[in-house]
Amino acid sequence: MAKAPKLNSQPQIVTANDLRSGDTVYLTVTGGWTRRIAEAAVVANVEAGAALLAEAEAQAKQNIVVAPYLIPVDASVTPPKPVQYREVLRAEGPSTETRPAA
Amino acid sequence: MYQYDEIDQTMVEERVAQFRDQVARRLTGEISEDEFKPLRLQNGLYLQLHAYMLRIAIPYGTLSSRQLRGLAQIGCTYDRGWGHFTTRQNLQYNWIKLEDAPAALADLAKVQMHAIQTSGNCIRNTTTDQFAGAAHDEIEDPRVWCEIIRQWSTFHPEFSFLPRKFKIAVTGSPNDRAAVRVHDIGLRMHKNDAGEIGFEVIVGGGLGRTPFIGKTIRDFLPKQDLLSYLEAILRIYNQFGRRDNLFKARIKILVHEIGIETMREKVEAEFAVSKHGALKLPQEAIDQIAVQFAPPAFETLSGISAEYANAFRTDFEFGLWARRNTFKHKQPGYSIVTISLKKEGAPPGDASAEQMNAVADIADRYSFGEIRVTHEQNLVLPHVKQSDLPAVFKALKAWDLATPNVGLASDIIACPGLDYCALANARSIPIAQQIALRFKNWERAHDIGELKIKISGCINACGHHHVGHIGILGVDKAGEEFYQITLGGSADDQAALGDLIGPSLNTKDAVDAIDTLVETYLRLRKSSDERFLDTYRRIGIAPFKEAVYVSA
Repeated sequence: MAKAPKLNSQPQIVTANDLRSGDTVYLTVTGGWTRRIAEAAVVANVEAGAALLAEAEAQAKQNIVVAPYLIPVDASVTPPKPVQYREVLRAEGPSTETRPAA
Repeated sequence: MYQYDEIDQTMVEERVAQFRDQVARRLTGEISEDEFKPLRLQNGLYLQLHAYMLRIAIPYGTLSSRQLRGLAQIGCTYDRGWGHFTTRQNLQYNWIKLEDAPAALADLAKVQMHAIQTSGNCIRNTTTDQFAGAAHDEIEDPRVWCEIIRQWSTFHPEFSFLPRKFKIAVTGSPNDRAAVRVHDIGLRMHKNDAGEIGFEVIVGGGLGRTPFIGKTIRDFLPKQDLLSYLEAILRIYNQFGRRDNLFKARIKILVHEIGIETMREKVEAEFAVSKHGALKLPQEAIDQIAVQFAPPAFETLSGISAEYANAFRTDFEFGLWARRNTFKHKQPGYSIVTISLKKEGAPPGDASAEQMNAVADIADRYSFGEIRVTHEQNLVLPHVKQSDLPAVFKALKAWDLATPNVGLASDIIACPGLDYCALANARSIPIAQQIALRFKNWERAHDIGELKIKISGCINACGHHHVGHIGILGVDKAGEEFYQITLGGSADDQAALGDLIGPSLNTKDAVDAIDTLVETYLRLRKSSDERFLDTYRRIGIAPFKEAVYVSA
């Protein structure tokens, strides 16, 4: 796996996978989880990121999500766009035709 | 084909029940993710980028039509209506939900299948020649030995927590189609001077971050000693293999570090103790399994069928397909058909449920209900009467399964890459699609001839890039996808690792570079009979390197 970048004071969000479905999910401002990155809670510095991740980890312990982590995003666009290509693919799904033609 | 006995069926069903309970306890929080992860992996369930992925074992790549229909049904019921055939002769579903996984495995057990030995540091599902039991050049059907290995290795308590995963491949033919020299153990059946059939045992091959061609540890092993000898190797590996560093834990590193001579001494010493023990195979036990792989009831045929000869002459498309996608059968009047899952522009190895059902129907009608899965991510109808080939071609074509490109540039191996895989650094499927489209022109593709392009999205090398005639490895370069190109690799009996041609290229330049490499080959080959790999071996890397980097 590509190494998670060290996050500085930059826009960031928390992502994880939903325990039951495995779907890519993002933590929202109300502490819920969404499949839409547009609804993710964006924080702007290391401290707020750590607090967001702590909340997500508590939810992982409650068996809602698996392995939450912070990712940097470009928050100047809507919806926020992950900086890493890997996370763009997680947000948008496979880039290829996802079903054989026949 | 091998049919489960009561012990096999009970074992698989009990495993499903156990996993159902484990999933239920995970969902209620009774067990944590850390506790659960090794349990789900032992049942083939990975958590990938977008979803859980379920990897199904297809032991030695052999499927009945009923099993293939079972796979189609599971794909429709629990996934998105298709599956992905892998370089390990497995099938992967990309969109399985955790809560559905036990039901999917229960359905799988109904058709005598499972996901055991598809993950974890155990002896994995044994792979073999996809033409086993059918090929004209075969000494003996290797699946008998794969099944014996399966029965010995499944849930083997001593080898369930090895330093790392362990892969065994067997070939029963001198023309290796199972890549035995790049497995932890490769077994090559051959005849000794006395005319007895036994195994050359090759150890310490492998791809991944540190690729090695395996070394021969024993030239000739009598059949009845197979399990004793394998156990001796596994014991030495289990004892001396490194557990301190994940990247140095495979047997190839042990063999490399202590040398093949020391490895041989240790293994032979262990074998000397165990060879007369409980694992010595009685002939009756071998025969009992062999009978399950008895050839189907072939008709006695002679000469070339008129239907076949006529179609070959009059139907250009059929002729093209028959030349590329059929292989000589050991039974006169029969052919082996490879079904390409590599239509140019489609993800390599993917098949829809409808296609799987269609192949099952065609196999029932024309191939004794048997199908094989190849490590090159295609399917095979092993026993087709030559007179039926025109009808089989027509039936396959209706399902987009008759692309005449087996072994050609567009018959690309590609791992799922960053589109699906949590380990990947770059995507594999889109670059495979783009390259394949460059070779869509049949005239050019057939003129180029055999060319094996293999693509991996990370250094773990599931796409076998090290042994591609052209290998492509995806890397992450400052957040952008780049691709390293190697030349001259080969997975067959002349196994070799590819040589890196130079700095990595971005996607567009990498696709262009493949074209340039092929044009360079066409310009420099001695004749149209000289394959890309032969030309490379004759003239070396320099002209290719120059063509890619100087012209760029």
